[in-house]
Amino acid sequence: MTPASRERLGTKLGKLDRPGTVVWLLLAPTLLYLAAFAIFPLFYSLRLSFTDLTAAAGTGDWVGLRNYGDLLRDPHFWNATKNSAVMVGASLAIQVVLGVALAMFFNLHLRGAWLVRGILVLPMLITPIVVGVMWRALLNPDWGLINWCIAAVGLEPPNWFGSIEMAMPTLILVESWQWTPFVFIIVYARLQALPQEVFEAAIVDGAKPLATFRFVTLPLLMPAIIFAAVFRAVDSFRSFDLIFGLSYGGPARSTTTLSFFSFQNGFQWQNYGYAAAVSYMMLLILAVGTIVLLRFVQIRPGYAK
Amino acid sequence: MAKKTTSGRTGDPSKSARGGVNRRQVIKGAGAAGVTAAALPGLVGARQAFAADYDPMKYAGTEINILMTGDENDHRALDDLLPEMKAETGIDLVVSAPALGPLIEKTLQNLTGEQSAFELIMYLGFLTTQQVGGGYFSQLNDLIDDPAETPPDWDFDDFIPAAMRNVGYYDMATGTVGKGTDVYGIPGLHSGSVIYFYRKDLFEEAGLQPASTWDEFMAAAQALHSDDVAGCSFIGANDFSLATVDWYTRFITTGGSLMSGDPNEKNFTPQINSAEGINALQMLIDSLPYAPKNVTQYGFAENVDGFSTGRIAQMIFWSTIAGPVLNEENSLVADVTGTAHVPAGPGQTPRAIQGGWGVGIPANVDPAKRNAAWRALTWITNKRINRHSIEAYNIDANRTSAFKDPELLEKFPYLEHALSAIENAVTIPTSRIPEFFQMNAMMNVEFNAALIGAQDAKTACDNVQAQWEDVLRKAGHLA
Repeated sequence: MTPASRERLGTKLGKLDRPGTVVWLLLAPTLLYLAAFAIFPLFYSLRLSFTDLTAAAGTGDWVGLRNYGDLLRDPHFWNATKNSAVMVGASLAIQVVLGVALAMFFNLHLRGAWLVRGILVLPMLITPIVVGVMWRALLNPDWGLINWCIAAVGLEPPNWFGSIEMAMPTLILVESWQWTPFVFIIVYARLQALPQEVFEAAIVDGAKPLATFRFVTLPLLMPAIIFAAVFRAVDSFRSFDLIFGLSYGGPARSTTTLSFFSFQNGFQWQNYGYAAAVSYMMLLILAVGTIVLLRFVQIRPGYAK
Repeated sequence: MAKKTTSGRTGDPSKSARGGVNRRQVIKGAGAAGVTAAALPGLVGARQAFAADYDPMKYAGTEINILMTGDENDHRALDDLLPEMKAETGIDLVVSAPALGPLIEKTLQNLTGEQSAFELIMYLGFLTTQQVGGGYFSQLNDLIDDPAETPPDWDFDDFIPAAMRNVGYYDMATGTVGKGTDVYGIPGLHSGSVIYFYRKDLFEEAGLQPASTWDEFMAAAQALHSDDVAGCSFIGANDFSLATVDWYTRFITTGGSLMSGDPNEKNFTPQINSAEGINALQMLIDSLPYAPKNVTQYGFAENVDGFSTGRIAQMIFWSTIAGPVLNEENSLVADVTGTAHVPAGPGQTPRAIQGGWGVGIPANVDPAKRNAAWRALTWITNKRINRHSIEAYNIDANRTSAFKDPELLEKFPYLEHALSAIENAVTIPTSRIPEFFQMNAMMNVEFNAALIGAQDAKTACDNVQAQWEDVLRKAGHLA
């Protein structure tokens, strides 16, 4: 190697040594992955939402905002929006209340708690579609174990998925069964990390347990609760597999949420343009909802500290 | 470029020219000329001459992929015989058999892609317009007519004509399924329609005859209903067959007509909220007190299980799906179950919806594999497969000969009714348009809502009517 070529190579290697180059080289695989599997589909589906693409016609002609206009006039879209809101709101409330209660309970460090705690988190380790199918079997009106148990004690088993009134509460129940452990874990972890001094100070000041919880524990737990709530709200809003396995959106569309509505349009009826529009409406609702929730965190800076 | 053969079908001229005339033309021509037994030796001679061109191992070593339904046991029947296929043709058939939803999704992905990963794809008769009419399947006449490619004993004319009209023939010029002589799919792996299943022992005990009218059906339901046995059952869940089997059978056998007009003329108008439409749904609502308690959540499995375990006295059902109730290995009531044509209103013909599947070769198949795919297709639709499907799984066949096989008939007498149900079945008019599934789903949701008491029959039918009109207008089938 001549001195000149050595110098050229040295210059090239020197460039590699610059932090910027190395950073970009290391980031490149991730960026490529994101571009291919997140950014491209995002823009492709956005474009799709302005077309009339169906499997049958296959033309994909540009129709501007027609899909969105149709959507806003579609009563089934509004029904799905309402169902999504009810499901997210109710299941979130249950999960947060139960999750915090469980965290407080296990914070008492009772004997054998570690075992119960381990069992308690199992539901969230199961795939939602399996949870749906499993609960559908458990709640089967003819041979389901739960109905059998209820009948065995002389009570009339509810018609879980045979009536509009019962279907949504049942869905919320199952969703809460699976995901309350998630809230519990987040809150419990935060609870373990709280400084003990403040609690000791509260005791010294003569605070009663309820007042300690209301004015000390809860504010300190709030960042964890809000994090868990935002995470669960987003996840619950886009929940599809549980509904697919459990109720298939019925009866009479009473458990058809926006994600299930999008699935029906896209993958059952092959109305791809319309389904993409539904998905973008979901994205919009989710973005607004998340911003509002995060704003809620910001306006209480004391909680976030 | 494809040219018309002497039969008027489109085909490869180089292949059609072989021998000047094809096997089917000889057979058909002979039939038309009133050939008698005296002329048969000549015909047999012609068959042997064609058979000489046929090399069963021509495509040995080729791998063919088939995408087919995993919902209805066809794949099991096929799996059983794959070693035989390999031994006889040398072809490796790789079977992918997802459930209906993923099957449709996968099918569309392959049909619309650059090249299909599957050389054979199975499609529902209801989707013939969407998938065949969309130009996604290869025309098969040149292969059918080619004695070097089609096994001499395959017997195209043995396929039930109604099944051919459902999935085989398609007229591209007018977009009409069942019209013309251009073949795009072969019935397979099963066909089927709806027949009436009843408990002979219960009917005899009560001194009743099997119901031939809907009034008799309801009277029997009332008479036979008890704490242990439901007087009747039906698909009451929000399920594909609520509308297509239970409502539609009642509707067309009481004088209803689902659509008027023609999608091509933009006057394709639904008649859901006609008196017959409302009445058909009301009949289902009226039978609720005599049906299983949770019938509004009953689909295929619940009804077949219910009947097989002796908890249902009568029902109408897809013959291919309820076939296992007549199989002693699966059913407690196999020996006391009778079958008949579906009930009908006074002066009406007993008939129901045409079901069944077709198998075709995608238009975007690897050209090098097209003929091998055809070889595999002829094998999986041969008479042996049909017979095995019936014997082992009570699957309705596609061939007349299988339904009329004396041995099978003795073992499974219901085949007589299953065949005539297929022959008399009605292709549901909405299957002429690609929006069929969406419209059917709307009907099932609204009818299920009526059955669970959320709305009355008229409101349900009015809702479906409005939703259908909206879909038809958006799709350009209704001005």
